[in-house]
Amino acid sequence: MRLEARDLCAGYDAVPVLHGISLAVESGEIVAIVGRNGVGKTTLVKALMGVLPATGGQVLLDGVDVTRRPPSHRVRAGLRATYQERALFRELTVGDNLRLGGFAPSVHHQVLDKFPDSLSGRGTQRAGTLSGGEQKMLAAACAIVSAAPLILMDEPSEGLQPSNVDLLGRHIASAREHGSGVLLIEQHLALAERLADRFVVLEKGEVVEEGHAGDDHIHDRIAKRLVI
Amino acid sequence: MSRTTDTTWRRRLNALTLELLNGLSLFATLAIVALGLGITFGLMGVINLAHGEFIMVGAYVAFVVHEAGWSHWVSVPLAAGVLFVLGAVIEVILIRRIYRKPELTILATFGLSIVLRQLAELVFSKDFQSVPNPVPGATEALGVLFPTYRYILVAVALGTVVVTLLGFTRSKFGLVVRAIVADRDLAESAGIRTGVTNVLAFGLGAASAGVAGALVAPLGAVEPNLGLSYLPSAFLVVIVGGFSRLWGVLVGALVVAVVQTTLIHYYDAVWALIASLVLAVVMLQMRRSSVAGATA
Ligand SMILES: Nc1ncnc2c1ncn2[C@@H]1O[C@H](COP(=O)(O)OP(=O)(O)OP(=O)(O)O)[C@@H](O)[C@H]1O
Ligand SMILES: [Mg+2]
Repeated sequence: MRLEARDLCAGYDAVPVLHGISLAVESGEIVAIVGRNGVGKTTLVKALMGVLPATGGQVLLDGVDVTRRPPSHRVRAGLRATYQERALFRELTVGDNLRLGGFAPSVHHQVLDKFPDSLSGRGTQRAGTLSGGEQKMLAAACAIVSAAPLILMDEPSEGLQPSNVDLLGRHIASAREHGSGVLLIEQHLALAERLADRFVVLEKGEVVEEGHAGDDHIHDRIAKRLVI
Repeated sequence: MSRTTDTTWRRRLNALTLELLNGLSLFATLAIVALGLGITFGLMGVINLAHGEFIMVGAYVAFVVHEAGWSHWVSVPLAAGVLFVLGAVIEVILIRRIYRKPELTILATFGLSIVLRQLAELVFSKDFQSVPNPVPGATEALGVLFPTYRYILVAVALGTVVVTLLGFTRSKFGLVVRAIVADRDLAESAGIRTGVTNVLAFGLGAASAGVAGALVAPLGAVEPNLGLSYLPSAFLVVIVGGFSRLWGVLVGALVVAVVQTTLIHYYDAVWALIASLVLAVVMLQMRRSSVAGATA
């Protein structure tokens, strides 16, 4: 499966944020999106999912234009996302979140045991009362266990302790082994570099740098974009 | 001597039985009247001031069925169907634009209630119409005579309520509706077709009001303002029963029925109404603080 953005524009009310983004991600590869705070990474995820309407350009799934289709349509076609903020239904229990994620009760433990300090036994707790890191882990575990053909992850490592960041990295890599494609938005550059096959650097709502994992000086090229 | 005490005791017991049956009938009526509001207001968060008019339309369906010479029992499923379609259409042209905007919802559904009353007046006039009792007479049970139709009303109303509640809780549907209210974007991102779900849920809420209307039609006059008398109790039941679980409708109906029956018995209807309102205010305060505590 292939997700493609062509000249994608989006923003909030009258404020444009994305100015014509073009990129693609396919099943079986990890594409890292990096960029400083406020450049529009989260906005890109929302526009790709369709929770934020595109003001220009196109979103295509396997070549089919889904720009005007609702998020649920894209999800049913194989796209999945974990959001940076409000990744779970905080008012609902952990178990209900898993049911809504499409997991039958018999597989809940697979999701809950994805990280150590297992969340199992927390099924009846309201998701909003999990710690920030626990919420992040649960949301990431849902996306990974779903084995969706394409997964968008908006800063999944934010707020995780180092050992869990490592584990998250191994889970994302194994999702790729199992055929999922991942669009990984990541501030943690070391993690992004360990995982990604390709890189896209955003600045002020535009793609300013692209490269492959094996390219010469790729680290310096990305790092230079992020420091200033 | 002992014979007199015996009959006194018996008379008291029979009076109590009658009160209990009246209470049961009130409980069932409140439950079916509030069921739809439990869905649209309790679950979906829509302050639907036209809920009473949905009941009124259901009662007119029963009247039309009677005029057509059909059995009253046709009107129960027919009212459900008519109101489902009406509710679905209203969701699409009106409610869909005003989710999460309570002030607009109050204005819009208040306007809708006026429109529906005026339409009823236009079609059927202001006259009080009557739907004859399909099962006249009384049944003797537990030593007292009680109208047979009331027994049937209790069975049909509670049956409808329980089946609907089971449908909502056993299937994923109720959870999905709650998820949409909690976060529509996130629900869409979980693959939920929120538009379709909202139409279905609002339609079902209206449909159950239709059932209520068809059931209460033989109990009194069918007229354009019929809904006005049911709206406050419906809100009362939902508020007392709480919003977090749809089963609260049954709890709320029970509490309100017990309070009203007891107070009407010992005092009068005015006191029953005052007590009910106090109950609603207290419950709202308690719910507000528990919600605030939970989200803090
Ligand atoms: N709901 C909103 N309304 C108005 N402006 C917004 C909204 N959300 C984001 N923005 C603005 O859009 C721009 C891009 O925000 P976005 O969240 O996409 O950045 P980001 O790259 O994800 O940043 P971060 O690294 O901090 O997560 C910012 O300038 C932000 O202020
Ligand atoms: Mg962001």
